[in-house]
Parts: sequence; C-alpha cells; structure tokens
Amino acid sequence: MARHSARLAEGEDSFRLIVNTCFRGEAGSSMPLPGDTADLIETGVLDSMAWVSFLRAVETASGISDLGSDLNEQPASIASILAALRSSNKGSLPSVDEKRGVAGDISSSAAFLTGSSCVHGSRVVPSEEVDRVFRMPVGKLRNRAGIESLAYAAEGESELTLGAGAIEEALHAASSGAQELDWIIATSETHHDYPALAAQFHSRLLVRENCGALDVGGACLGLLNALAVAQSLIGSGAARTVAVVTADVHSRVLTPERVAGEFGGLFGDGASAFLVRGEPGSSLGTSYRIGDFLFGCAGQYAAAIQVAARIGGGLEVQFDGEALSRAAITRLEKVITAVETRSDISRASVGGFATHQPNPRLLTLLAKQCGVSADAFPAICKTTGNLGSSMCGAALHAALQNAAQSEGDQRKPIFLASLGPGLLFGGAWLTPW
Amino acid sequence: MTKLLITEITRMGPAFCVIGLEHGQQRIQSIRPVSSTANSWLHFPYQRGEILECSLTPSCGPPPHVEDRVSTRGFRKCSTVAENEAAGYLRKAECSDSLSGLFRCRIYENKRGSGTHVLPTEARRSICGCRTQNLRLELCGNELRATLVLSSGELLRDLPVVDRDWLDFMDAALAEGRGANRAARFERFLNSQFHYKIMSCPHHFVRIGLTRPYRDVCWLMLDTLFPLPQTDWLEEF
Repeated sequence: MARHSARLAEGEDSFRLIVNTCFRGEAGSSMPLPGDTADLIETGVLDSMAWVSFLRAVETASGISDLGSDLNEQPASIASILAALRSSNKGSLPSVDEKRGVAGDISSSAAFLTGSSCVHGSRVVPSEEVDRVFRMPVGKLRNRAGIESLAYAAEGESELTLGAGAIEEALHAASSGAQELDWIIATSETHHDYPALAAQFHSRLLVRENCGALDVGGACLGLLNALAVAQSLIGSGAARTVAVVTADVHSRVLTPERVAGEFGGLFGDGASAFLVRGEPGSSLGTSYRIGDFLFGCAGQYAAAIQVAARIGGGLEVQFDGEALSRAAITRLEKVITAVETRSDISRASVGGFATHQPNPRLLTLLAKQCGVSADAFPAICKTTGNLGSSMCGAALHAALQNAAQSEGDQRKPIFLASLGPGLLFGGAWLTPW
Repeated sequence: MTKLLITEITRMGPAFCVIGLEHGQQRIQSIRPVSSTANSWLHFPYQRGEILECSLTPSCGPPPHVEDRVSTRGFRKCSTVAENEAAGYLRKAECSDSLSGLFRCRIYENKRGSGTHVLPTEARRSICGCRTQNLRLELCGNELRATLVLSSGELLRDLPVVDRDWLDFMDAALAEGRGANRAARFERFLNSQFHYKIMSCPHHFVRIGLTRPYRDVCWLMLDTLFPLPQTDWLEEF
C-alpha cells in the first residue's frame, strides 16, 4: 500500500514536471507559473494558438495522445490538464527507476541492451574521389557537408555479410550465443531482395528454427523502430533475447548513373547490431535499460525527400537539401526536448547523443542548437558518410564504447533521436544499469 | 466602385475579417476590405457568396497582407452566387498544390508545440486556396483545429479554424440546450459523417490565410472550408 502511494506521488510529480516544463516552453522561462485553476485563455496568459500548442507539447511529453479531446468542455487551466493526465489510463509514465537511471527492481516488462557492435564498409574512399565520380566540384563534400571520407563495401561485402558480422560481434560482446535468440529484427534502406534480410540473417547465423525473423522499415528511423519492437516482444513475454540489426550498402544503389552527387555522394555503407534482453548482463555496469519510445510523423516535410523506383531500374529522387536540413535540425532538437521532458533526464547530464547524422555540418549545428557540447555526439559520419538506417546504430555503438571507458557507476544516460523520410521521427533513452 | 464576391468571413477575436474576389481584366484576385482604423469589422451583416459593391483605395497593404484595401464607404449588396459557383471562382484565384507555393515562401514549424508559421518578410501574400487529399477537423481543448494533406502529399497540422460559419456551427453543436456529452457527440460527428460530407462534395475547397504579424511571425490558419456547414446536420448527432 505504501509502495502504491509512493508510486502515485511519483506519478503526480512527473505530471507536474511535464506540465510546468511545457508551459515554460510555450510562455517563456520568465513567465511566472499561473495558479492551477486560472483559465489560461481568459486571463490572457496564453492565446488560443498557444493553448493548443501547449497541450500538444504535453501530449508528446507524456505519451498521452488524446489529451486535447479529454479537455473539451473543461476550463483551459493547469488543474484541468493535471486531472486529465491523472484520469488517463493510457499514460506511459516512465518508472521511477528508469527516470533516475539507477538500479532497482526489474519490472517484468523491462528490456536491456546488453551488447552492441558496428562495422563499416572496408573500402575507405576520400570524399574528393567521390566528388569526381559524381562529377561534382572537387572538395564539395568536404567543404559543404564536412565529409572527409566514405566507407564503401568492398567486393564480397553486402548487407548480409556486414550485418551478420555485426550480430556475431554483438553476441560475443554480450557473452551470448546465436542459439539464444528468440527473434532477429532487421532493418535496411538498401536491401529490397527476397528472401528478406532477416530471413537471410536467420540462415547465415544458424539460429534455432523457431527463432522469429522480422524486417521493419523506416529508413534512417529503422533502428528505433526495431528497438521498439524488440522491447515490446520482451515486454509481452514473447521473447527473452532479441537481436536488432541494421545493414545498408548505399554504394551499389545510389550510383552516379541513378542519382545526383549532392544526394548520392553523402552516403556510405555499414551495419550495426544490438542484443536486447529481458534481464541485464551478468557483469555489473555493462547493460543499459531501454526507456520509453516516442514516435511521430511531421508530414509537412514529406516533399523534402522522396525516393521511388523508376521503370527501367532508375531512381526518382526528390531531394531538397536545404529544406531537409532545416527540418532535420528543428525536429531532432524537438525530439531531444521531448525525450528530456519525458525521461526527466536533463540533456546536460546525458553522456552521449546517438542521433541520425545526415552529415557532420548538420551534427555540429544540432549540438549548437541543443546547447550541448559537440563531443557528446560521436561524429561517425565524418569518416563514413551517412549510413542510412545504420547511422543511429553506429552512433549508439560509439556512445556505448565511449561510456565503457568510464567506471560502471560513472556512466551516464544516452539519448536516441532519429528521422526518416516522411518526415518520420522518433526518440528514446537508455539508462545505465 | 468595386464589386467583390465575398468568399471569406473569419472570426478574429470579437470582430470579423473579410476577403472577397475581384474579377479583374486578366485574373481573379483576392481583396481584403479593411476600414481606415482597423483590419477587421465589428459588424458585418453579409454572407459568403454575396456580391457587394464597395469603394476601395487602390494602394496595397504592407506584405504579406498585400490584399488589404481601405474601404472608403459602406457595402451594398448587389446579388448572390451559389456556394459551388463561389468555390469555382476560388479555384481560379490564388492557388497552390504545395506548401512552399501557398505564400511563395518557406513554412516553419513551431519549435515548441504545434502550429505553422511564415516570416512576414518572406511571405508574398496572405491568402491562398488549395486542393486537399484529405482533411480532418478536431476539437482540442475547446478549440477547433484542422489537419489537411495537400495534393503534394505535404501535411498541415493543427491549423486554427477561423471560418465564421464553421465556428458558428461548432457553437451551435456545443450549445447547452443540446443535452449531455455535446463535445463527445460533436467529435463523433467530425470523425464520421463530417468526413463523408466534406470529401465527397464536388466543390470541396480550402483556403489558408495568415494572421497579422505577431511576435515577428504570421501563423497559418484555415480561413475557409467549402462546403459550408448546414444547420440540419445538427440533427444528425
């Protein structure tokens, strides 16, 4: 009973924190918090535009998606919002332990990241050479995007070989074997063959026949989609150990004959893999608990990037680099803000940001926009190019490797944030365990 | 004298903002009659589809509200056109199938919560029509909001609905005399019959407008949604 009351109090505190944070975001940090029962529109604290914007921010931060509907025929007050949050049975408040990032009881639905790895295409090509191949001015990729080299798959390397290698390394890092896997979840933005990629991994790794194999989409958001599915499979009891793998070989898809260099020249090849389990690894301080996910789609940017197959083998690419860059920065910052509010983990106390990395210039800009050190964003794309669905995974693996240099109790949470065409977006957080 | 086909009557606080179409020699263009002291009218006893005679100064308003013309005399009603005919004229006026074409400038999202805006220095006009692939109205915290998909596949979310007729319809739907669970019933209507009525209407059309600059930006809003709501729809929910 006492524990239940404590949980309720924690929930109340979390709701209050979310509401206060979102109010400050809308009204400005200098605006004093109004009384709970004050009607924010009638008193002129917010106009109707800002009121709805405030509600949407609370919806995103709390994970309660129909809050605005619950508040119809209610005063536009903080008390109404808090009451709606309390009465919602669909809320997904992070657990106390998750939020604080400290060890505690493991709930039955907890999922842990216990191993990771990343591999790049083994052929390293200076960006100037890529400029030439795509018939762009030499130095364009380096000067405009900040890309120094690209990792291309060598002969004999493919999504299958790169991804399978990554899974084996991740299993090794977690001291696990392939026969333990209950599911393989694969994502790739370049592999469109059949058997699908997850099925090919299944055969290559010689996992148990009754291990499931699932491919998920989302392009550059694919890793987060796959991790969310893995967490759900574990949470539902359908799986105990899941391998999540990304693999992309752009160099054979985005060729100079098919696409312009301003688009195709940005991409490299690589793979990443993660082991997700229902319990933490045996060595203390080596696992991370996976927190909540938030997802969405900002359709106003749908036209900024569109890729479609053309009859005859070509690709129809619509790529407004400038619009996409602006959208990427705005959205990633917004996702990081939402993750920060929802997790109650300040961005200043985060050890690493594993985000999509369109190019190094944008990564620097994102760090600046977020007000955090650029060092917290492992700059993978500088030497590999944009790895597509493997980009966020490569950054996450690097962030985990960086954290492994610290003592177990010194490790900090990691934020994940990524984007995909649509404009799909998603975010999550990991807390050291 | 100028003849204006009234196509927009929007609620702006306690007043109304009005836009009409002027049939020029070469094109049909939107004109926003404003008084010499305000951008809106506290009393505007006319309806959409009515053709009004008025006297307007020739000079344009400051960007992006270049459609503004100061009215120097009152309005006089000449005639009325049917709703489908009015929508037909709107299709021949300012139109765009893409977000960037709406106001011929970039569209920015609100970095904090919801809403979409332009910069007054970048926008070239303040009203534009568009065809939509889909449209949804939603009641959010007592405010009516629209989400729509343009022909380009681009999406506009949480546009405040300022269309006077649709707001009057909402007020009537939520009036106390209509019994219990009014908001829930209205939401159910918006999620079901409304969608069919709007999207199956052959003269379905939408116009997006810009607010006056506020804190250096102009917000996008849904000025007009054709077909207009009908009173007998209230009996359906």
